Amino acid sequence: MMKDRVVSVLSNTKVADGIFEMVVHSEDFPELIVGGQFIHIALPSLAHPLRRPFCIANFDMSAKTITVEYAVVGEGTEILSRVENGTELKALFPLGNGFSLDADYKTIALVGGGMGVAVLPAIPTTWQDKDYHSFLGFATASKAVLVDELSKSGKVYIATDDGSLGEKGFVTSLLASKLAMIKPDAILCCGPEIMYKSLARELEGMDIPVFISLERRMGCGVGACLVCNCKVKTPKGDKYLRACVDGPVFPMKEVIL
Amino acid sequence: MSNLKVNIAGVDFKNPIIPASGTFGFGREYNEFYDISELGGFSTKGLTLLERDGNANPRIAESPMGMLNSVGLQNPGVEYFIENYLPWLKTIDTRIIANVAGSTVDDYISICDKVSIDGVDMVELNISCPNVKAGGAALGIDPKNVEMITRAVRDTCRKPLMIKLTPNVANIADNARAAEAGGADAISLINTVGGMAVNYKTRRPVLANVMGGMSGSAIKPVALKMVWQCYNAVNIPIVGLGGITSYTDVLEFMICGASAVQVGAANIYDPMASYNIVKDLQRYVDENNIDINELVGTLKVD
Ligand SMILES: Cc1cc2nc3c(=O)[nH]c(=O)nc-3n(C[C@H](O)[C@H](O)[C@H](O)COP(=O)(O)OP(=O)(O)OC[C@H]3O[C@@H](n4cnc5c(N)ncnc54)[C@H](O)[C@@H]3O)c2cc1C
Ligand SMILES: Cc1cc2nc3c(=O)[nH]c(=O)nc-3n(C[C@H](O)[C@H](O)[C@H](O)COP(=O)(O)O)c2cc1C
Ligand code: FES
Repeated sequence: MMKDRVVSVLSNTKVADGIFEMVVHSEDFPELIVGGQFIHIALPSLAHPLRRPFCIANFDMSAKTITVEYAVVGEGTEILSRVENGTELKALFPLGNGFSLDADYKTIALVGGGMGVAVLPAIPTTWQDKDYHSFLGFATASKAVLVDELSKSGKVYIATDDGSLGEKGFVTSLLASKLAMIKPDAILCCGPEIMYKSLARELEGMDIPVFISLERRMGCGVGACLVCNCKVKTPKGDKYLRACVDGPVFPMKEVIL
Repeated sequence: MSNLKVNIAGVDFKNPIIPASGTFGFGREYNEFYDISELGGFSTKGLTLLERDGNANPRIAESPMGMLNSVGLQNPGVEYFIENYLPWLKTIDTRIIANVAGSTVDDYISICDKVSIDGVDMVELNISCPNVKAGGAALGIDPKNVEMITRAVRDTCRKPLMIKLTPNVANIADNARAAEAGGADAISLINTVGGMAVNYKTRRPVLANVMGGMSGSAIKPVALKMVWQCYNAVNIPIVGLGGITSYTDVLEFMICGASAVQVGAANIYDPMASYNIVKDLQRYVDENNIDINELVGTLKVD
């Protein structure tokens, strides 16, 4: 059975320029959460009836908490940024397939661009016995988040568009320059689609499995309304799948970008 | 327990709450949240003869107290529905309304024939989907076409036939009368109201399809007015919808003349919406000791 839960806000603080971290708690907690799944949060506003999807940035099964890392980009996230501690919100979680890591993937490269980094910390929480290397790309230093958090799980490499933090340039080029040294068994990536395109270019000719998380506008979040379609290659030809239940994580080679 | 049972065109529903087409898939997803046999019935995602991919993404936008969609009738095709979804639906004790659409009159005739089978309790003809460029909308706008298409499918449709009306017309009462004249057993209204969402920063439409259909609370006043207009125009039963999110909305629609209602966007906002409305409505009729049917068309306008 699936459930619509009520979560209460434990903290909601600004962590970077225009970016907030919200920790929510629910006594009624699911038995299993895996990195790459998301939470679909109802806003405390009748005028804004659609829920907002966010990656489960991290989770704590014993404290029964979920951490969400979000950028204020529109009306809904602006409302969310003003939510006070103790507020109760309806939330569906965990939704989506999440990543799945084969036992023989030992060395993992985590790649995040912009708010895409938000999906990464839950991965080491889910699979603790892997060797992680994180590659984070931000527009500029003031937008950098989760650097300390990810440092706990392994080495972190940073690239910014303006060079104000880490290397100047694309995070995908930074990853490419370290591939020979790190030799990852798999690459898990979340960011804008343009980043997936450049990642595909950088990795051409190599056969490292790459898994990406797709961002789609969502309605129900549970597979019923068909607004979140994405085009995927299957043995039976190209198919439209639902990002909310069939995804949001897909093998990059199957996604038609 | 006071009565919530209703009868629409000879079909018994255990209560008047029916999730609307396109917001409830084929029932499986919400059955993960609650037993969908608690519902009066539900209307399937719009079915077409052949599989359809639908429109490009983004397909959804928010508007104040509402939403816009431009899914464009993505569905696996009627044969797939019959083979893969209907057998399971037959095991569920709730009414199944097959919502069907087409691009040509022949499509409609043929799909009505295909869905007139065991397991389907009623056929809802979507002649109003604003998203399909070829045909769909055109057939539902001119009352002459509404009558023509209803008459055309009447023979091959061997189940009670409900015509779903679009609000994007000159006079909804004329279209309701046209459906009745063509032989419809019931009408349902309203489908989505044509609309747009625009991003002023990028100067782009939010929906890839540019235009879409509005639903949710924002359209409720339009829907109530049209249900009332149709109630005064026809004798066949009316299934009312458009912006229903609570049991009080249901009461308002029934007072305006709806014999049952459908719940659309509310399922998208809240997976428990339809279930909660059934429970709240039961509590209301129990507390007030009324039969829900007593309410239908009791709007006092003197
Ligand atoms: C699976 C998934 C995980 C996500 N994880 C995160 C995350 O961890 N951190 C984060 O900051 N953002 C994340 N996003 C994007 C986030 O959902 C949007 O930024 C947010 O919904 C914007 O809401 P708004 O009301 O401020 O924007 P508005 O533009 O006012 O929203 C209007 C509507 O469009 C939708 N929308 C607008 N932009 C997006 C977008 N980029 N993606 C999806 N829907 C959008 C909204 O949900 C809402 O329905 C994720 C999106 C998806 C699909
Ligand atoms: C995402 C979505 C998909 C829809 N798909 C269909 C469809 O396939 N066939 C149809 O007749 N109506 C479809 N509709 C219209 C609804 O059934 C309903 O008429 C409309 O949304 C108004 O009701 P509401 O305000 O309760 O949502 C769809 C609506 C939404 C929001
Ligand atoms: S958001 Fe409704 S099907 Fe994916």
